[in-house]
Amino acid sequence: MSLRAYLLRRAGGLLLVLLVTSFIVFGLLYLAPGSPLAFILGPRGGTPEQIAAVTAQYHLNDPFFVRYAAWLGDILRGDLGYSIVYRQDVSSLISGRIGTTLALVSMAAVIIAVVGVAAGTFAALRGGWSDQLTSTTAAIGLSTPSFVVGVALISIFAVGLGWFPTFGSGTGGLDTIVHLTLPALALSVASAAYLARITRASVLEESGREHVQTATVRGLAPGYIVRHHVLRNSLIPIVTVLGLTIATLIAGAVVVENVFALDGLGSLLVRAILQRDFAVVQAVILVLVVAFVVVNAIVDFLYTFIDPRIALGSRQ
Amino acid sequence: MSRRRITIATAALAVAGLALTGCTASENTDETDGGLTVDLSNLATTTEPGAQPVDEVKWNLPYEPMSLDPIFGFNYAENTVTANLCESLVRLTPDLSTEPGLASGVEQPDDTTIVYTIRDGVTFWDGKPLTAEDVAYSLQRQVGETATSYFSSYFQNVESVAVTAPDQVTVKLTQPDVLFTQAMGTAAGAIVQKAAAEAAGEAFGTPDGGLQCTGPFSLEAWSSGKSIELAAYEGYWGTVPMAAKLSFSFIADESTAINALRTGDVDGQYFYLPPAGLTQLESSDEVTTTYGKSLVFWTMVTTNFDGGLGDDRIRQALSLAIDRAALTKVVFQGAGIPATTLAGPDYWGYEQEAFEQAHEEFSADADFERAKQLVAEAGAPTEPIVLAVQGSSAVHEQTANVIQAAGQAIGLEIETKVIPVEQFGNLYFDETAREGIDGFFTTNYGSFADALDVYQFFASTDSHNYTGWDHADEQLFAARAETDPAARADLVIDAQRIITTELPWIPLAYEPVTLVQNDRISGATASFAYLYAPWAASIGGTE
Repeated sequence: MSLRAYLLRRAGGLLLVLLVTSFIVFGLLYLAPGSPLAFILGPRGGTPEQIAAVTAQYHLNDPFFVRYAAWLGDILRGDLGYSIVYRQDVSSLISGRIGTTLALVSMAAVIIAVVGVAAGTFAALRGGWSDQLTSTTAAIGLSTPSFVVGVALISIFAVGLGWFPTFGSGTGGLDTIVHLTLPALALSVASAAYLARITRASVLEESGREHVQTATVRGLAPGYIVRHHVLRNSLIPIVTVLGLTIATLIAGAVVVENVFALDGLGSLLVRAILQRDFAVVQAVILVLVVAFVVVNAIVDFLYTFIDPRIALGSRQ
Repeated sequence: MSRRRITIATAALAVAGLALTGCTASENTDETDGGLTVDLSNLATTTEPGAQPVDEVKWNLPYEPMSLDPIFGFNYAENTVTANLCESLVRLTPDLSTEPGLASGVEQPDDTTIVYTIRDGVTFWDGKPLTAEDVAYSLQRQVGETATSYFSSYFQNVESVAVTAPDQVTVKLTQPDVLFTQAMGTAAGAIVQKAAAEAAGEAFGTPDGGLQCTGPFSLEAWSSGKSIELAAYEGYWGTVPMAAKLSFSFIADESTAINALRTGDVDGQYFYLPPAGLTQLESSDEVTTTYGKSLVFWTMVTTNFDGGLGDDRIRQALSLAIDRAALTKVVFQGAGIPATTLAGPDYWGYEQEAFEQAHEEFSADADFERAKQLVAEAGAPTEPIVLAVQGSSAVHEQTANVIQAAGQAIGLEIETKVIPVEQFGNLYFDETAREGIDGFFTTNYGSFADALDVYQFFASTDSHNYTGWDHADEQLFAARAETDPAARADLVIDAQRIITTELPWIPLAYEPVTLVQNDRISGATASFAYLYAPWAASIGGTE
């Protein structure tokens, strides 16, 4: 399939997924009890007259399809809507947070990829005690909740040693990297452990293949064999898992965001769901779906580089 | 994987697990031991004023404000910020009395007319002078049945607000209202610039719309989700603050906030309930913790008289069975005062002696015999009593445990229902959210030192009165219209007697303000006044 056809098909699929997801999410929010009134009228509540006025102003009692159609119409005009809880445009709420999320997820992705692949390969190739140690560490990493890791990292590296700040996302550039180091570590521990196990299994499997044995018998340098025959062939499952992991990190960072007082898309989404802030929920979901599809498209591209036999968009 | 490997891995995991639980267990004992030395009879109002200018003060808020428009600020984080930005007509002083604010004079030619003389020489941050038009606009927008101001109940008796002279605004009331006049010392009386508010419309007070007020600090930037930055306003009519910059972060997680305070990443924070890591702060040599006079109280609200709490005697029995001394020690780590009446001593802003005497009629002590007797008389409810508990709040859960134990001791079955923090607010006015719930816990406060502002909740017309309880209506309505302090005190005390006897809400504890400041700064207001008066204006560096 040509690149152009592939992109067209992907874009078409994306639009369909967006439409279906937005409908389902909107429907579920609509069916769930509760309303954003508490956040419009304030902690002291309101009189029946105030409640009626606000309900009418924000069309809170309109039928489901009227509200969904109105929202869809706005989206088609490029308007993400208005958060009635924050009294702000959703686009400005999201643009303020997307940078933090992007930086955090990118840093975590790098850590996951480097640590996961390195540890997994190391465990598979060295075997013995090294393997045992890595596998055990991975098991601990997988089973330790990220907030525990976060709190431990803060106690040791922020409060104890004073190397890193305790919270926040910094003022940009290097400062942001310093601020996001601990959160990115906390976020990546479980995924890196998972990737290490996948890598280990994949590398072990490849090492036993005939072409590797042939290469060994031919007397090629072990390093060359590992790089060109083992790792390259084990990359397909590794890249697949890495892609899926990164896509789920965006929304999955909520707990870590909370521990480090970072306001990213995950926190925004959870709060918006609980506050019944429809426009915000919808917009964040859209961003998440787009991110998911884009990451997977990138993974598809990578497949063709890793294994030239795989054609773009094929089902192989 | 061989069998031996699995055993080793399991053992390693078990050790790690033990280490983790060991950690939490020791932390817990630290917390519950309390052992704080809080002098609750002599709470602070101020802290030592700062001695020298300081570049930046970094303050933390427990959550990001929804809006900085004063009419949408009736909560801790919002008011902590707006108090420094937008000044009110009357100013709440640190000892919870009042002094002139943006109104240099207040006159009441008769009970239903209030004339505010606007202070001369006050300018907004953009340099434009404060006018009577701005004042009239700021009040006017809160008047009317459908006004969305969070303070609209204070404006229910306002007939008109008019500019009657270039420096004068006159408010006409339909009937005398002592709550309106006192509310002008809260954010309800905060003045914003008419032109800026009208230009920004609904965006006023949000990160997009900005703000225009006269306070000692101006709003420089609000980056949504990250921080709010204030700068000292050089053209301020009073003393220009010593801190050139005041920035707010939003750390919601208590342990992170405590860590940030201990490391100096933030310089200070107000806690309305003592945080779980209070002992860590008390023992830190980086920060100073101060407990201040406060109007905040902790209470159990009855939402429903159809269930187990419908009988007065059951509520009285439950109240009598609560060990409030243990509750303040365990739940509030000693930083709480057992409550006998809902409105505590800091509300006695007038006729103090009369209120003090009336307060002594009641006791916060437990009396199990009397409680059991009451339950026997009334007959224990057939259905369990259901209390709503706010999710992920230790204070809520621990209080629920204390109440459950109290109920059990006198033969009342009490169940809890956990509600996520973001939905807990629905309980306050959404009838459907209160379905199947007999009561819930809440911190609450009146906005000024008048017990009437609290007991007002029990007027049958008030939005706090979920049960339609109306046994004190006569006294409450009369008190609200009574401008003579002595006569008003009599009425309020009468109402207090009825409310404390019949217990539509059960008083639990009075909560002092917990103020934490890094030792490099000092000067923040220590009392509840921080919600409505510029508390950071006196902050400066220490020697």
